[in-house]
Amino acid sequence: MISPLSLAPRLSVWIVLKWAIALLIAVITIFPIWWMVNVVFSLPGEPVSINPRLWPTSLSAGLDKIEMIFTQTGYLRAYGISLAYALLTILGVLFIGSLAAFEFALFDFPAKRLIFGIVMLSLMVPTAVTIIPTYLLTSELGWLNSMQGLVVPGLASAFGLFMLVQFMRAIPPDMIEAARLDGAGHFQIYWHVALPLCRNALITLAILTFMQTWGNYMWPLIITTSPEMYTVGQVVGLFNAPLSHQTVDVVMTANLLAAVPPLLFFLIFQRKIVEGIAMSGTKG
Amino acid sequence: MAFLEIKSLCKSFEAYPVLQDIDLSIEKGEFVVFVGPSGCGKSTLLRMITGLETPTSGTIAIEDTVINDVDPAKRGTAMVFQSYALYPHMTVFENISFGLRMAHQPKALIRERVEKAAAILRLEKLLDRKPGQLSGGQKQRVAIGRAIVREPRVFLFDEPLSNLDAELRVQMRAELLELHERLGTTMIYVTHDQVEAMTLADKMVVMMGGKVQQYGRPLDLYDDPDNKFVAGFVGSPKMNFLSARVVTAGPEGLRVDLAAGGAASVPLAAMLAPGARVDLGLRPEQLSVVAAGQSLPADAVTVTGRVALIEDLGAESYLHLHLADDSRIGVRTVRHAAHLGDEVRVAAPASAVLVFDDAGTRLRGRA
Repeated sequence: MISPLSLAPRLSVWIVLKWAIALLIAVITIFPIWWMVNVVFSLPGEPVSINPRLWPTSLSAGLDKIEMIFTQTGYLRAYGISLAYALLTILGVLFIGSLAAFEFALFDFPAKRLIFGIVMLSLMVPTAVTIIPTYLLTSELGWLNSMQGLVVPGLASAFGLFMLVQFMRAIPPDMIEAARLDGAGHFQIYWHVALPLCRNALITLAILTFMQTWGNYMWPLIITTSPEMYTVGQVVGLFNAPLSHQTVDVVMTANLLAAVPPLLFFLIFQRKIVEGIAMSGTKG
Repeated sequence: MAFLEIKSLCKSFEAYPVLQDIDLSIEKGEFVVFVGPSGCGKSTLLRMITGLETPTSGTIAIEDTVINDVDPAKRGTAMVFQSYALYPHMTVFENISFGLRMAHQPKALIRERVEKAAAILRLEKLLDRKPGQLSGGQKQRVAIGRAIVREPRVFLFDEPLSNLDAELRVQMRAELLELHERLGTTMIYVTHDQVEAMTLADKMVVMMGGKVQQYGRPLDLYDDPDNKFVAGFVGSPKMNFLSARVVTAGPEGLRVDLAAGGAASVPLAAMLAPGARVDLGLRPEQLSVVAAGQSLPADAVTVTGRVALIEDLGAESYLHLHLADDSRIGVRTVRHAAHLGDEVRVAAPASAVLVFDDAGTRLRGRA
């Protein structure tokens, strides 16, 4: 007979170590966020007192602070600007990136490898190098302090193209040919066949683009000088500025509010990445 | 003019010729099978008919209209791919109706045609499933359904059964024949499996090296091949070839020395120089084991070899004989006709022997 002990996974040093490391990383990652929540949902002064607590003490105090920030500062407007900035960038990056990837991955055209190489080369150029010419160009176009000034320069994503090309290369050529024989035009093949098949790559790219644009500080900072066009990042920056007269709990509230959308976005779509569409239409 | 006429068709990929000078006519309603080893150009020919490849030269015409420059979707052809090429994100219904939807057909018509096709292919209960939830045979039927709803003039199948297991393949083969009977549409089918070709084809087109070697009814190709390649390719187990040298040749008949030992006379009137190399072709079922003391007709071709392998298939057995010249031949026989390692003598009537010259061309002409 098999003893119950032999059925249980054996507790080796390695397993303990793995769990210990995983827990440690989790704690290090989660603690700052938890600390924000703790500071916001406490009575003023409590978390920074001589005897700080590690758990929230007052829900109403937190809600009051959130209400205060939304009603008495330009935070809500900045939220709207940031959301619009992020969503427009995502739409643009996905659309332009997938169109380009469709051509690069599935069709041949003159100088294809050269052009792709040049695009990939741009991945290696740091943003700091291109930011001044991009600024000058945007300024020439009269796009300072405008939504298009924020969004358009970020639409061509070399990384996005690279990722989508890799994904679309996995689409069997038979499937594209079948669609052609079914009478689908070039754009219809892209729209009805290629795009749905790389849904997961699109979602991943959307998440990454969201994180990037939401957290982008430098570009909005130089392109939008008027407070009406400030993004969340800039407003939070104001709260955190050395000469800001806000108390630490108010600053933390601003920080927390800035962190919520990317967290939500990630939690909602993370499952989608895992789901995985298998290329199940081909070979049984 | 024939229903589908292919004239002097050539195709090269970057100066490398894939198809050379293909001439073929296909009648309406025929089940035509292109068969040949991998890389013989059969799939390329199919893809040119459907418009996925453009010919380098030559013409393809359906019902007297040259379709070289017609858009693939408007040629009236429908293709079933080896990989099925179903769209994994669409349901069976959406897969089958995709072509009709792209053509902006009215919804009622789409539903009607899809339901009709589903009924023919027994897919009614699967219309809401996605390809990932189907078995190989079901996927294959969906792929065929996608072709049927377009009501094409010609169906094209590119090795459609090669991803199925043996049992299912036999079943699908029968279903395809049934479908052909029911629809009466011209079908062109590509396969490398000559058994599949023999069982399905009204007309079998044997290809090799980018050329059509021979075409005709399967049994005609089996009985009367034009060259050594067709003789060896059609039929399973393969035809045996005995290497030989001409002793005398003329209108009265051919006498040869076999490389495996012995001589043979064949009733073939041919002009061959003495010493020329020829191959004698004999099907395994035409050979029989000669029992000790058994008398043979004077014109029998006989050869002796050692039994190297016995394949017992139940109803019949195949002996693999190792001959003196190191070649091997197969003999169909009954069970327990010989034992492993035995020296046996096998014989065939001289009238059954096919003769091929050194270049592999069949020599004809009765003496």
